[in-house]
Formats: sequence, structure tokens, C-alpha cells
Amino acid sequence: MAGLVPPGIPAVPADVSHTAHTKHDEKTDYMNLPCPIPYEELHREALMSLKPETFEGLRFDFTKGLNQKFSLSHSVIMGPTEIPSQSAETIKIPTAHYEFGANFIDPNLMLIGRVMTDGRLNARVKCDLTDNLTVKANAQLTNEPHMSHGMFNFDYKGKDFRSQFQMGNGALFGANYIQSVTPHFSLGGEVFWAGQHRKSGIGYAARYETDKMVATGQVANTGIVALSYVQKVSDKVSLASDFMYNYLSKDVTASVGYDYILRQCRLRGKIDSNGCTTSYLEERLNMGLNFILSAEIDHRKKDYKFGFGLTVG
Amino acid sequence: MASRVSLKTKGKGKGGKVSKGSDEKSAAQRLKEWSTWAMKKAKVVTHYGFIPLVIIIGMNSEPKPHLYQLLSPV
Repeated sequence: MAGLVPPGIPAVPADVSHTAHTKHDEKTDYMNLPCPIPYEELHREALMSLKPETFEGLRFDFTKGLNQKFSLSHSVIMGPTEIPSQSAETIKIPTAHYEFGANFIDPNLMLIGRVMTDGRLNARVKCDLTDNLTVKANAQLTNEPHMSHGMFNFDYKGKDFRSQFQMGNGALFGANYIQSVTPHFSLGGEVFWAGQHRKSGIGYAARYETDKMVATGQVANTGIVALSYVQKVSDKVSLASDFMYNYLSKDVTASVGYDYILRQCRLRGKIDSNGCTTSYLEERLNMGLNFILSAEIDHRKKDYKFGFGLTVG
Repeated sequence: MASRVSLKTKGKGKGGKVSKGSDEKSAAQRLKEWSTWAMKKAKVVTHYGFIPLVIIIGMNSEPKPHLYQLLSPV
């Protein structure tokens, strides 16, 4: 019996090699990092929880699909719209408009167009030229002269990096780059130059994500420092917090919010350091029928916005 | 003395510009004018033609929808 196990050899050679093998698997393979998310979606989770699209008044959206890829949408929006004013108080003008939209969504080509009764067109185009190269275009065209904007983006996706070049009207040029440094951590930077306003800027961003949390930070030489943290407490609940500081104008805003994704509804709410609370409820009444309630109460500016709407299709 | 000199150069500059406009424009100026004209036309074309373009592309995609489906609310 004693002779079966030769002396000198440890009793668990197989185990040691097994743990060594798994340790090698867990060790990061720096040649095989995942592709990071696009630079403009860095704060995606925080924005989804903390900045729902609140509105004021009535909103009715009807989307009719003609086939798998093509659909038309009709929207009616009635309510007070805020216009920018010089004084501290908010000025609202009641408006009502109808918006017609056509969407064509294909794996390689996406065309989305929305036109309003006052002639404003909102167009978005996304075209995948090859597996790695994508061209995007975004335009808001109006009948008033000098109020239209357009922007072209060229994206190149590499194995563990993404780069983007932007051109916009008014001689606006920008470029950004983001790279995965470890499987959880990615770093990126951007530069932009606005010819019309003779301004240029440079910024850096970092993102750390795991299954349970996402933390992002962004700094720019325009003075903005933005940090956000999102914790996914469970499948249904996530909590988010956001901190924005402008070191040139000494402006600080912090907000904390929650996002409950339940079976029949989705409830998002947040409270701000400016004394503003927001809440947004989307309730699924039936298949394809959604009821929306939106509330935004700003105690400091005494601005109360309540909206309700229905989305069909 | 200095003001007289500056007036003189201003006059020269104006004269020079007038001759430029009447005789020939530089290539860069011509390119800029042409590109501004092209952007203006492109803006009008996009403004009126984008939604019809999406509808045409959509109506020709498979499976082809019927024309009445475009207009009816059901």
C-alpha cells in the first residue's frame, strides 16, 4: 500500500494542476478584451434611470407596422412648451402639433424621419458599410434660415476599441476614441472644434462595469466633471446617482434616482440637488397599449409639469 | 503720417479686391461658393425628399405592403 504512492511526490498533483489551469483561465487575456460601448453611450445606464423623457400635457403616439422593417408613426402632442427666456421665471406657450414619422429598420440600414406640422424635419440615418465601419447622419431641418443643424458620424469598430469622427454644420469637427484596458475597465478621450464659435475642447472618460454595477467618470476642458454610479440591486431594481460639477462656473448638481422594471410597468424617479423631483411611469395596459404618466416638480423655480399619454403599437 | 499710410493701403486693398471680383476668383473662393450652393440645395432636397424616400424604400421592401395599408389607420 505504501509502495503505491511513491515518496516525495505530493498527494495532490492533479489538484494543483487543475487549480493552476483554472487560474490561467481567470487571468485576463489582454489580447482578447471585449469591445467597449460607444463613447456617446458612456453614461447610458445612468441616463436611462435618471433622465426619462418627461413631458408636459398630452402625448399620443400611434405606431403602425406595415411589415417587419417598415412602420409609420403618428403623434399628437398638446401642451405648454417652454421658451428660453432671459429672466429667472419660465415662460410657457401652449402649443399643439401633429408629427408624422416613417421608420425603416434593417440590420444594415436604418432610416428614421419625423416631420411636424410646422415643417420641422428630424432625420436619422445609420448605415453599416462593412462589419466595422458605420456611417450615421442626424439632421434637424427647419424652414427658418440658419436654424438647421446636421451632423455626420463615421464610426470604426476595432477588436477592443472604437473610434469616431464627427462633422457638423457650422464647421463643427470632433473625434473620439475608447479602448478596453481590462475586461471591466475602458478609457477614452475626445476632441472637438467648433469653427463658428471658435471653441475647441478636449475631454477624457473612464468606465468601470461589472455585472452588478457601472461607474463612469468624464472630464472636459470646458469645465465639466461628470461622475455617475449605477448599482443593479436585482433584476427588477436599479439605483443610480449622478454628480456634475463645472469647475469654471462653479455649478454643482447631484441627483439620485431609481428604476423599477416590473412585469406590467416601469417606474423611474429621481431627486435633484436643485430641488427638482421627477417621476415617470409607463404602464402596460394591454399588448401594445402603454399608458404614460410624467411629473416634474421644481420647487426652486416653481415650475410644475405634469403629463399623461398613451402609446399604441 | 501713420494715418495717411494706413489710408493709402486701405485704398490699395479695395482696388485690389475690386479687380479680383471682376476678373477671376481664386480657386478656394470658387470652391467655397460652390459648396455653399450645394449645401443649400442639399438642405432643400433633404427637407422635402427624406420622408418620401423612406416611404419608397419601405414600400419596396419584402414582404411588399399594399398601398391602402399606407393610408388606413388599421
